[in-house]
Amino acid sequence: MNKKIFLGFLLVAFNVFSQEKGVFSGGFETNAQWYLNDPDFLDEFYNPVSHPENPLRSNSYLLLNYKIKNWSFGIQGESYLQDALLNYNPKYEKVNVGTYFAQYKNEKIDVTAGYFYEQFGSGLLLRTWEDRALGINNSLRGIRFIYKPTNYFTLKTLYGQQRTGFDVSKGKIFGADFELGLSDVLKIENSDLTIGFNTVGRYEKTDIANPNFDNLTMTYGGRVNYSHNSFYVSSEFDYKSKDAVVQVRNQIDNNLIKSGNALLFNMGYSKKGFGVDGTFRRLENMSFYSERLAKGNQYNDMILNYVPSLTKQHHYNLANIYVYQAQPNVIINDQSLVKAGEIGGQIDLFYNFKKGSKIGGKYGTKVAVNYSQYHGLAGTFYIYSPQDYSTEFLSFGKKYFSDANLEITKKWNEKWQTVFTYINQYYNKKFVEETYGEVKTNIIGAEAIYKFNPTHSVRTQAEHMWANSDKKNWAALLAEFNFGTKYTIYASDLYNYGNDDEKLRHHYFSVGNSFRYKSTRLSLAYGRQRGGLVCVGGVCRYVPESTGFSFSINTSF
Amino acid sequence: MTILICLFGFFLNAQTQMPNVSLNDLEGKKISITNDFNEKDKIYVFSFWATWCTPCINELDEMNDVLEDWKKELNLEVIAVATDDSRTQKRIKPLVNGKGWEYKILLDSNQDLKRALSIVNIPYTVVVKNGVIVHIQNGYVPGSESELYQKLKSL
Repeated sequence: MNKKIFLGFLLVAFNVFSQEKGVFSGGFETNAQWYLNDPDFLDEFYNPVSHPENPLRSNSYLLLNYKIKNWSFGIQGESYLQDALLNYNPKYEKVNVGTYFAQYKNEKIDVTAGYFYEQFGSGLLLRTWEDRALGINNSLRGIRFIYKPTNYFTLKTLYGQQRTGFDVSKGKIFGADFELGLSDVLKIENSDLTIGFNTVGRYEKTDIANPNFDNLTMTYGGRVNYSHNSFYVSSEFDYKSKDAVVQVRNQIDNNLIKSGNALLFNMGYSKKGFGVDGTFRRLENMSFYSERLAKGNQYNDMILNYVPSLTKQHHYNLANIYVYQAQPNVIINDQSLVKAGEIGGQIDLFYNFKKGSKIGGKYGTKVAVNYSQYHGLAGTFYIYSPQDYSTEFLSFGKKYFSDANLEITKKWNEKWQTVFTYINQYYNKKFVEETYGEVKTNIIGAEAIYKFNPTHSVRTQAEHMWANSDKKNWAALLAEFNFGTKYTIYASDLYNYGNDDEKLRHHYFSVGNSFRYKSTRLSLAYGRQRGGLVCVGGVCRYVPESTGFSFSINTSF
Repeated sequence: MTILICLFGFFLNAQTQMPNVSLNDLEGKKISITNDFNEKDKIYVFSFWATWCTPCINELDEMNDVLEDWKKELNLEVIAVATDDSRTQKRIKPLVNGKGWEYKILLDSNQDLKRALSIVNIPYTVVVKNGVIVHIQNGYVPGSESELYQKLKSL
């Protein structure tokens, strides 16, 4: 019904503004897969990979925007045919209108009705965004009002229900955020000081008889940013009011009612040729969904806040097998696996050896070092009735993850450039994935780019991972040829040669090509997909192993 | 969906402008995409990147080396729009300085600009002159920068 009203509104808008010249824009994207049977490709139970029912599947998105004077209108149609790609939220089905909006915006006022995307602060209390590769579109449907009377003051208020599939959540979300540039108010020169406060509420009427918690859950956050010349520091603290904990899928725990909080602290110093940055974060019971029971669902459906893992996002394939995921949740069902959050941080260092120096050579040498480490929260956990826990503020519990890495980029001459990487990881699989085991890895990666002429080049990448358990050692190779700037072909293979089980020593090969022209990109590939987590920005989606053809096209206009 | 397809017809002759979005720069100042980049006949190159995107960084490294030469020939400005979200956003400033880049950096933290331009993959380069998008380059391979320069000279 809403969609019809919106389309009607859109048509009225066209008529009203027909004398004026409006501007259209938009984009189209399709990702299609043809899944095949692969009798030699066995899973851990020795079942060969077989294609799902409806082996030909595609996710497509058509976004259309119309802008005239201060008004913008947009609508996004989506189709999932015959079904959505494997392991996407099954709520995405058939063809439908996904989102739509109408917006009025001038220098001071911005009003949006319909679906909108928003983030308060770092997103630890509220972030709505779209990530098609992960099947996330958690935009809010409702109304948002932004008021910006001066350049240094912004107030945002919003109300809505969150998108889930082609429907919206039962939980109702409202919030406000304001940000003030104090350095502008106080006319401090050469420094920037900004403060911000926000609040987000979720109202979800519970079905539970005699609930020990309120239907309304409130959150509050405060943040400060300061920078002076080359130095900067920022911090954010967030609090979530008492609410029932959901430990097991689909089970609201009426006897474990806890509040949550998060602390983020960052500082750094950088000048030309040098940069250092450190981040600390502590999370306790900080998962937040627009419906309580959505917690822990594998599709990131109805997720309200953004809790990324603060680690380096590697571009090497083997470094993305044991990927850390942030641990904001509470689990105290099993004596040997108790969690209430995480504590840890990371440090980055960037250095550029100047051109002409001994190490820099003719073109300079760039070095990047990164270290991250995360632990569970230390505290006291009561497993049996009544269940409860209390944590200590700054003490480190069980180690979950660490990653130390070094990357050296060097351009030797007009034709050659190389990158060398070393990565050492510790991954506590038992705690991060709630299964069993722990893995220590050493990974080396080397990449070389060679230019045959100004527009033809080849890129090769070789990697090796030594892992002491789980699937053990891997090797990987990739070669990519660029024929001019428009056409690329590639071939790659990941080989799990060290697997203790000979039947599982798989090759994950892939061959493909892509064609680019202006805003359009087409690609076609054939190969095997490694099962596991596909992560973008520290948020992950589980994908099963599969073999087949993939085709994608995207364009904007 | 039928209505959408009908509407689609309107779009083919579109002369696209940049969306009216404001983003923060590295000093926390709000910068308007439409109002702050509107010098007459000046070429604005918006290069979308992220700290975790290796081809993006290669492109910006390469362009940084030749930017001075380009500026001798053309009245142009390169704006590097970082699409990093809060996971990697804090890495932008030290990385930019560590590399010694001379670009104007904008923070598209919740991808408002990227979404408004329907950008799927980065690197992605949008060239704007007199308020109109005059060229788009989707992706980067070694050599794309010299092709881009030829294109810019023809504008």
